[in-house]
Amino acid sequence: MKTDPVLQTFIIESSENVQEMENSLLQLETSPDDEDTINALFRAAHTIKGSAGIVGIDNVERFTHIVENVLEQVRLGEIKVTGDLIGLLLKCCDHIGRLVDILSEGEDKAGNPDLEFEGQSIMEQLTAYIVADKDDLPSAQKDTQGVAGERKEISSDNRMVETGNWHISLKFSRDVLRDGMDPLSFITYLSKLGEIAGLTTLHDAIPDAGEMDPESCYLGFEIDFRSDSDKQTIEDVFEFVQEDCEISILPLHSENKADPPVVGAAPEKQEQIKAFKAKEAKTIRVDTNKLDQLINMVGELVIANANIDQQAQRIRDNSLLESASALSRLVEDIRDRAMKVRMVPIGETFNRFKRVVRDISRNTGKDIELVISGGDTELDKGVIEKIGDPLMHLIRNSADHGIEEADERLALNKPGKGTIRLNAFQETGSIVIEVSDDGRGLNRSRIMNKAMERGIINPGQSLSDREMYDLIFEPGFSTAQKVTKVSGRGVGMDVVKRNIETLRGSVDVESHEGVGATVHIRLPLTMAIIDGFMVGVGPLFYVIPLDMVVECLELSEADRQASLKRNYADLHGKVLPFLRLRDLFNEQNGRPPYEHVVVVQYAGRKTGLVVDELHGEVQAVIKSLGRVYKDIKGVSGATILGDGTVALILDVPGLVQTAKRMRKV
Amino acid sequence: MAKTIMIIDDSASIRMVVSIALKKTGYEVIEAKDGKDALGKMTGQKIHLILCDVNMPNMDGISFLKSIKQNQNYKFTPIIMLTTESQEAKKQEGKAAGAKAWVVKPFKPEQMLSAIEKLVLP
Repeated sequence: MKTDPVLQTFIIESSENVQEMENSLLQLETSPDDEDTINALFRAAHTIKGSAGIVGIDNVERFTHIVENVLEQVRLGEIKVTGDLIGLLLKCCDHIGRLVDILSEGEDKAGNPDLEFEGQSIMEQLTAYIVADKDDLPSAQKDTQGVAGERKEISSDNRMVETGNWHISLKFSRDVLRDGMDPLSFITYLSKLGEIAGLTTLHDAIPDAGEMDPESCYLGFEIDFRSDSDKQTIEDVFEFVQEDCEISILPLHSENKADPPVVGAAPEKQEQIKAFKAKEAKTIRVDTNKLDQLINMVGELVIANANIDQQAQRIRDNSLLESASALSRLVEDIRDRAMKVRMVPIGETFNRFKRVVRDISRNTGKDIELVISGGDTELDKGVIEKIGDPLMHLIRNSADHGIEEADERLALNKPGKGTIRLNAFQETGSIVIEVSDDGRGLNRSRIMNKAMERGIINPGQSLSDREMYDLIFEPGFSTAQKVTKVSGRGVGMDVVKRNIETLRGSVDVESHEGVGATVHIRLPLTMAIIDGFMVGVGPLFYVIPLDMVVECLELSEADRQASLKRNYADLHGKVLPFLRLRDLFNEQNGRPPYEHVVVVQYAGRKTGLVVDELHGEVQAVIKSLGRVYKDIKGVSGATILGDGTVALILDVPGLVQTAKRMRKV
Repeated sequence: MAKTIMIIDDSASIRMVVSIALKKTGYEVIEAKDGKDALGKMTGQKIHLILCDVNMPNMDGISFLKSIKQNQNYKFTPIIMLTTESQEAKKQEGKAAGAKAWVVKPFKPEQMLSAIEKLVLP
């Protein structure tokens, strides 16, 4: 303590000031009304008090503060200088001097009861002087009360507006620059408290050049501000200018006020907002229409590129071929990047369900936790928008029907807390979203009974697990024994399935009784452009999405003859159901001498498509067929080839279904 | 380049506390013990901000403020007045003279720094 240079300076300075006070007081004895002397006395006390406050010597500050109050009134002529007062003030000097001396001896500041007692008694005598004057103390109290009242108002205001989003309107006074204030510095300081999301400068107040005073400020600002700070803190940024400037600080949409369930989720929300903020700093908002236009153009570019490629192939000029292939590579790159622009992480959609699960746990009294993984997996924005409802349904099903009551779980040696998992990952050409729970799983016999009741299957028909579980996606199928308010109204899984299929995706369920169920949703990576495999049937071209093609086989004459009757072939010793596209699309032209089988796989099922010709890989820009053709089976869209020919894109999931049905018949 | 701040206060210990805190933050500091001393040290160099006590011998803060507002070189320099809560009358006088920024004594170095940063970043 002794070696602290600040303290040393304080001790020397205060001793000098005590001396100064003493001298002044002695002078006052002879000339009690001398203003200069009173001022000097006051200033010395004031300086001791101020320094003590800043250096942190509390007892000196407290004591001198009272002395200063008395001196202030002496200065204003409210207290007369008398011999008694001078005597008392001299005692004060002695006391301050001792307090300071103790510091230099390095003693504990609070540890001297005698001194403290002495200080107390002097302070009482001093206060007597102050109280003698009517106005002072009460007015001081009034002041502090006033301040406290103001604070209270502000804090109640704060409670309403914990939104983190603010709109600040600033209109600086003309004189702000002359006052030494730079408007920019406040805005810069503001950005330390949070993020300035938007700033508009209002310059309509600037007069014509001739009338403009370069030393005046004519500017106003509208600021969108994101910050966790409260209103008071933001107001304080402008404390130096608030008197002459028009400032309004408004919270934006205070939707999350005082709703008790939200309060618990608040820290989580804060985290989310923070994460969101971090991300947003590097992003820009773009109108989706603009993106769609861009992707459309990229599509056209891909087609034009295919055309050039074909021409180059035809002309067979080496340098042209080389340029064309360089161009193709670039176009492919652009295509991929353009598609990525539309991709957004699914995490945000997943996080929405935390609240859903929370509410369900509350309503049903079950303790359920939602575990999210793979939130950074990216999906096409269009898909993300449409996947929410099906997911909601699946999660509600899991929470309501899947997870057992806590006591039932404990009886089964499961943890009392149920878990629902949401997971997303990329798997060759598609995105997989899994909703799984550790509940009771699907009940085979109940499904069987229900299916027979509904006439979906015949008694005695034997089904694999997979086929059995697929039944839950049949329209009007719900095995929930009781309809609860959360889920189970008989419209359910079939709607989920339909929604997912409109996204060119598929859904299936895996279940282990007593262990839990997992629903897998498979979605295509992209919505607009695909890598395709082109085949020919008769004079027409068809495109099969490449990621669904497993292999191509030649259908020999013998197989052909044999297969004509049964529509399935032998693939590496396994039964491969197949579909003749020729028959399916009613192609009348003559059969070629050789046919080919393209083996496609979808959702774990292999199916063969019999075609006339294999043309190889193409990039297909998917064009919708329009509303009139949307119900055509087996075709999901069309694409334009390089030479302008239209090729139809095969709806593999639909075809696989058709093959399955044909096998049953 | 580091920004320069002038601290004008008759208390050497306040000057010391303030200047230690300012230097630590990265400002250059000029110390003056009263208004007159300060004017003598303002020789045309750029001063980005002035911290000025109100009650000082020789030339008090308000007179200093008035003289700065007349000075072509320094009239746009932001000035933060240091005052105690008991000096309401002085504060009114200072406001009339054009003082906008006030920091109430006693203050913690952090309070002072945050006030300064609203006007000048280090």
